Amino acid sequence: MACFERESPALKEILMKLYRAEKPMEVDHHLHEFGAVEYHVQASASGPPYIYLSISTPLLYQESMLSSGLPRYTLEMVKRICPDVAEIIEPPKERYQLTLRLDYWRIPHNKDGLKMIASISSIQGVILSSQLKDMLMNVNSLEVSQGMYRPIKLIYHPREPFFVIKQPEKITAVFPMRFKEATDVIIATAFFQELMDMGSSKAFAKAPHCIWSPIPPPELRGEPIEDLSTNGGFVSFDITARHVEGKRLDKTVWNLLNFYAFVKYHVKSTRGFIQRRMRMRLDALVEVLHKAGIEDEHQTGKKGRGSKGKRKLLTFSKSKLLKKRYNFIDKIKRIRYRIKIHWFSRFRKRWLSFPRFSSLKSYERLN
Amino acid sequence: MAANTLRLYLTCIRNTLEAAMCLQNFPCQEVERHNKPEVELKTSPELLLNSVIICRNEAERCLIETSINSLRISLKVKQADELENILTKKFLRFLSMRAEAFQVLRRKPVQGYDISFLVTNYHCEEMQKHKLIDFIVQFMEDIDKEISELKLSVNTRGRLVATEFLKQFI
Repeated sequence: MACFERESPALKEILMKLYRAEKPMEVDHHLHEFGAVEYHVQASASGPPYIYLSISTPLLYQESMLSSGLPRYTLEMVKRICPDVAEIIEPPKERYQLTLRLDYWRIPHNKDGLKMIASISSIQGVILSSQLKDMLMNVNSLEVSQGMYRPIKLIYHPREPFFVIKQPEKITAVFPMRFKEATDVIIATAFFQELMDMGSSKAFAKAPHCIWSPIPPPELRGEPIEDLSTNGGFVSFDITARHVEGKRLDKTVWNLLNFYAFVKYHVKSTRGFIQRRMRMRLDALVEVLHKAGIEDEHQTGKKGRGSKGKRKLLTFSKSKLLKKRYNFIDKIKRIRYRIKIHWFSRFRKRWLSFPRFSSLKSYERLN
Repeated sequence: MAANTLRLYLTCIRNTLEAAMCLQNFPCQEVERHNKPEVELKTSPELLLNSVIICRNEAERCLIETSINSLRISLKVKQADELENILTKKFLRFLSMRAEAFQVLRRKPVQGYDISFLVTNYHCEEMQKHKLIDFIVQFMEDIDKEISELKLSVNTRGRLVATEFLKQFI
């Protein structure tokens, strides 16, 4: 769900493995994606050359779920994926909403074949987008003609529902935005303001009108309070007839479905950008201080050129002298510890340990 | 005008630091064989000097506390809006967590300020006094500049991403 690629990477990999195999392979895989999507891929080495692909996915709009399975419009969309290769099996396997039989010997071994596999791997995207497509296409439905503009709650991700409101001549998609951290809210708010500014510019006059508001839009009046309580406000897009014409429909639907993922990806990458920049800046700031230290040492060195003995005295500060002293003690320790006597270590620790000198520079931690 | 006020503000801080940074080794009067920054302990009032607050405006100020062997400089950085606020907090927290790299940076700022430095007589011995003052003044300049640049970059990124998103509808 939170994936910009339409194809499922794992499903594509399995199908590609079967596609490239010279002999029929025995395959029985159960895949889980995004917590709620489940695939079952089954192929037999001895039987007929078919792959059975079953899928179970939470639907966008639960009311559209029929007792017999997926809505008619969705089934039509699935049939259109690869009509020569994929066939819908009725009834689907138990626990799954859809089962496809793929005749993979019919998939040509060229670029078209790879495209076919990619489109079969994107079956979950097809199922989900078909529901929203169906809504966007039926602008002049009964509800609208009767003046009822009831918001429809669509759940693309369990924690991120969004609303579609059919209105005369347009459909409004409203996204309640929720974020875990205050930093994310501020970065996202800055982005929404830019989105509004860019959307209202002349260059994007043909793009859907975008509005961000910290309070719920009036169309959502009457919805449950848990759906309207957000920390990132509400982003609305007005989809008109020109945005659902021909090929634009597919893009519009995909952009709306992935809006949450898009915003979250932007927030995440912006945080990474800030962190990278801070790290770079830290190096530059530290360098200034180190230069001061190095130059100081250099100058002290220059000053002490008069006589050898004096120079040595000047270069050794108290702390350095102490350090030297420590090193000397370490050396003695090393000489002493060279011979190991069993049980002697305990005796040494107790009675022959060297007293620890506290550095003059160390301070006690203060509360 | 803003650049002029900043210059005046920084010059004032520089002059105050030059006057205040005459530190000497002074062992603790309370505990034998201990040498502690008196500005932190504040056990002997005779070892403390009057603290100075230099304000550029309500949101930007600098507190300089001096004692016989140590000096504490606390800064409050301007935060015009929420974005600047989180960027400042993030950046200064990032620096405070890496305080060991700066030697003179305090891990926890003084209450009411965003970042604090603690300069002791040992720092003055190890580094040149004027270089240390230069560093603090440059640090203040850089922080302001960096936060303004970060804010600009975040907004620019947002605009680019918004453009790319809207382009897909056309």
